[in-house]
Amino acid sequence: MTTSTTTNDRPAFETTRTNTHLETMKANLFRQKRQISLERAKLYTQSYQQTIGEPTIIRRAKATAAILDHVAISIRPDERLVGNRTIRPRSGILSPEMDPYWIMSEIDTIDHRPQDQFEFTPEDKIYYQEVLLPYWSGHSMKDFINAQITPDVQQAQKDLVIKLNQTDKGQGHIIMDFEQILQHGLGYFKQQLTEKIAQQPMNDFFKAAKIVFEAVTRHFDRYADLAARLAQAETTPSYRQIELTEMAAMCRRLRTAKPTTFYEALQLLWLVSIAAQYESNASSLSLGRMDQYLYPFYQTSKAQGTSDEFIREILGDFYLKTNDVVLLRSAESAKCFAGFPTGYTVALGGYDKYGQYAVNPLSYEMLDLYEAIQLPQPNLSVRINAQIPRRFLNKTCETIRLGTGIPMLFNDEVCVPGFLSKGVTLDDARDYAVVGCVETTIPGKTYGLHDIALFNLLRIFELTLAALKDVPEVTYDLLRQTLLANIDHYVAIVTKGSDIVDLGHRTFAPTPFLSTLISDCLANGQDVTAGGARYNFSGIQGIGEPNLADALYAVNQLVFVNHEMTFKALVQQLDHNFAGSDGEALRQHLIHDFDKYGNDNAELDLECAKIFRHFALELDKYKNIRGGAFNAGAYTVSAHIPLGHDVGATPDGRKAHDQLADGGLSPMVGRDHLGPTAVLKSVSKIDNTLAVNGSLLNLKFSPDTLKGDAGIRKFADFLLAFTQLKIRHVQFNIQSKATLLDAQKHPENYAGLVVRVAGYSAFFVDLNKQIQDDIIARAEHRL
Amino acid sequence: MERGLIFNIQRYAVHDGSGIRTVVFLQGCPLHCLWCSNPESQGAVKPVTWYKNGQAKTVGQWYTLDAVLAEIEKDEIFYQTSGGGITLSGGECLVQADFSAALLRAVKSLGIPTAIETTGALPITAINKVLPYTDEVLFDLKIMAQPLAKQVIGDNVAFVKASFEAALQASETTVIPRIPLIPGYTAQMDNLHQIIDYLHQCGVKKVHLLPFHQYGSQKYHDLNRAYALEKTPLLTSEAITQIHDLFTAENIDAVVYGLD
Ligand code: SF4
Repeated sequence: MTTSTTTNDRPAFETTRTNTHLETMKANLFRQKRQISLERAKLYTQSYQQTIGEPTIIRRAKATAAILDHVAISIRPDERLVGNRTIRPRSGILSPEMDPYWIMSEIDTIDHRPQDQFEFTPEDKIYYQEVLLPYWSGHSMKDFINAQITPDVQQAQKDLVIKLNQTDKGQGHIIMDFEQILQHGLGYFKQQLTEKIAQQPMNDFFKAAKIVFEAVTRHFDRYADLAARLAQAETTPSYRQIELTEMAAMCRRLRTAKPTTFYEALQLLWLVSIAAQYESNASSLSLGRMDQYLYPFYQTSKAQGTSDEFIREILGDFYLKTNDVVLLRSAESAKCFAGFPTGYTVALGGYDKYGQYAVNPLSYEMLDLYEAIQLPQPNLSVRINAQIPRRFLNKTCETIRLGTGIPMLFNDEVCVPGFLSKGVTLDDARDYAVVGCVETTIPGKTYGLHDIALFNLLRIFELTLAALKDVPEVTYDLLRQTLLANIDHYVAIVTKGSDIVDLGHRTFAPTPFLSTLISDCLANGQDVTAGGARYNFSGIQGIGEPNLADALYAVNQLVFVNHEMTFKALVQQLDHNFAGSDGEALRQHLIHDFDKYGNDNAELDLECAKIFRHFALELDKYKNIRGGAFNAGAYTVSAHIPLGHDVGATPDGRKAHDQLADGGLSPMVGRDHLGPTAVLKSVSKIDNTLAVNGSLLNLKFSPDTLKGDAGIRKFADFLLAFTQLKIRHVQFNIQSKATLLDAQKHPENYAGLVVRVAGYSAFFVDLNKQIQDDIIARAEHRL
Repeated sequence: MERGLIFNIQRYAVHDGSGIRTVVFLQGCPLHCLWCSNPESQGAVKPVTWYKNGQAKTVGQWYTLDAVLAEIEKDEIFYQTSGGGITLSGGECLVQADFSAALLRAVKSLGIPTAIETTGALPITAINKVLPYTDEVLFDLKIMAQPLAKQVIGDNVAFVKASFEAALQASETTVIPRIPLIPGYTAQMDNLHQIIDYLHQCGVKKVHLLPFHQYGSQKYHDLNRAYALEKTPLLTSEAITQIHDLFTAENIDAVVYGLD
């Protein structure tokens, strides 16, 4: 397959280095400060200036092609895989075509804002202000969306009940059909597109897709040329020269041919993923079931004699690369998604289409390699179900015990029926994977807008209390009915708002390259944004269920059962944020004397479950503009802090603006005191199958609970119970409080400390103090 | 109706016994071990008041059989996946032998494994009531010399031995003797030798060792009681190893808790 071979018949380029080279590459990734790179924005804009009058999808395709053709590329020392989105590692990328405004308001604060800082060079600032901003002002997707927003949607946003997402960058939250691209190669798709164009010459989608596919081919050529140049530049014959020569040859092959080895498969996978990044600059172009679709290549390479060390080296390179791509978010968004989650999420194991548990040596290797590298991306998850082999479950537990929150767990016994309930076929449902943080999708077949809107249930409850304040003779029934009616009211609005954003992406940001790799766009001749995908969901996140559970229960007991005070008096206390000593006494009473979610009180938990069910079923009444369903989610990621800021004092004893329960379905911090089994029982009362879009449960264990073989055994048993309880998702933070407190005091000693934030892990030292404190405070379950 | 006085129900107990367990702590104990980490349970079967942060708090709550069963059943799924079950502890669960027996019987009929922790310091009728429904007895052996046992902790060694032997004879029940290693008391060489002699007599080949800890000290404060072992240092790991080796040399398999 290549020119030189070693004595044991292995190609010379497969010679591995010492383990330290991954360490060095890892260190290099983090050596420089993060910077904003305007390169993509410039190339995109220049291309747009030359395509005036052409259809949007063609303009987008040409702009993407221009980036692929002209963006500066690099092959960094020691790299075995090519493809860096920016030359400088971990640069933030702007897409002013989506929203040119937010960056302007942060142009002078972005290098020192509380969360996720980036340098913005003075020259770039000027270029941005003088060229990019004027060009896109009034012509961006944001402008389109703002013009479409109806008064009721605007009011709901002002009410702080709904938040619309992805109005300033690509949709993302999608998994391309990597199985297909690896099976067929780029040439096959180009060929398909050529045939389609011949059949349907008027179809712009096909033309646009072909433009990008050809540019991707040229992008491979550019890397091939660069690798060859670098090989020549090596003054003495060296292994590096052999490696670079092979990289050049590999890029030349992959420009059209399908990959045949594990090495080639990884290379194609990565460059396809980078191309999609250039196209849409989106969060969470996730990786799907890597251990499944890469396994045939792994087997082939192993059979050909490729060593475990070499596989580890290139896969390690791939892991590092997923940390190179960071997402530039607005300050507000960075609050919600602190620490650069870019969503290179991977799902390992789980049912295959035969209903058997699919695990293979690569699944183990991927966990092992994580242990060696321990970076936040790829964000590994394991799919668990009743059939999980104990060996893989133990391996999963051991990896979790490292304490970094990776892998998280997804329960097939919930996710599969959830998709079935939404009309997904059994084969497809069993093939689900994870996008973004905790959302689930059907890889290669879904445009799911999984992160389109947040829907603050607790805020609706607060507004309900206020609306009923002066009503004489309020009953619990009336309170409940009014709450449900208000939920219905806002559900109608949030679906409308989501559709506006959906339409904005259709009108401004079609993604022909990505779409070609999503069934059935190629068959339909339609972009995903136009409804070309097989499955077309929109995911709306219900926020604040745990606080709502506690608040409803407390109001009912305090006012309607015990008659301790009138409804009106309670609402007045809330309006005053529990001011004064009476207020504080009431607050303590509410916190300590009424049971709380997380303590396995079925009455309390089920009441909240009914509200959530109502919300999910109400969403089911609507269809989005692509004809797909609205799916309920139950997660906040790290938005429990900003979203809490939107809500006044609540009858669970929470003061105005305080955070909400973290994650989504975790109990309010400090309110559960019966240990993790009771927490799981409470969470299981909420019908997790209804949270088709995703849910999130954080559990924090102290390290001593997991000590030794017995610790692993019991932890694994605990997870089997989790599986049977039909809870959708769980993730663990296993760091002792002492460690975290010390890391807060001496960040310099803990640069590499990875912790679970929400649906993803991040570097502890990258988080602001508030989030750090929150992580430290989350209940540590121990015995 | 059967009622029991319970001062704590602890779910997700993973450090004692097999699997994930729920431990039911029953009020009342005839002994007064100086090192007791649940001093609120000592004495008669009645609720105890203590002061925590200036606030009076009553310890001990009467439960009907159904009420405590409902608590136990909450973690049924975890017992199933882990092979765990319930453990009756105390205090001394045999003080409320009738309630304990009824509870164990009801739990066992649900297919949930049962265990008790006991010192056996009651007339043999007590342990005989529970043994038919008990899969595992964690049996504490403390001070073996009679006058000393009586003086220091109020123990009756004759009761202890009779109960221990009854447990050994129960064919469906596993017995695990446990020795709390308290410096100056149970961990004395002559006491340990007496225990070894007794285990030989009974043909018992294994034992669990529980090194002294200070976890209970705060409770003495809350109860406004003096704590005799306030200043007692923990055993060094050398000392623990030495005791462990003593048993091994005598062909008794010794498992030390909390030591990796
Ligand atoms: S037997 Fe147990 S509960 Fe009773 S006093 Fe001794 S240590 Fe405390």
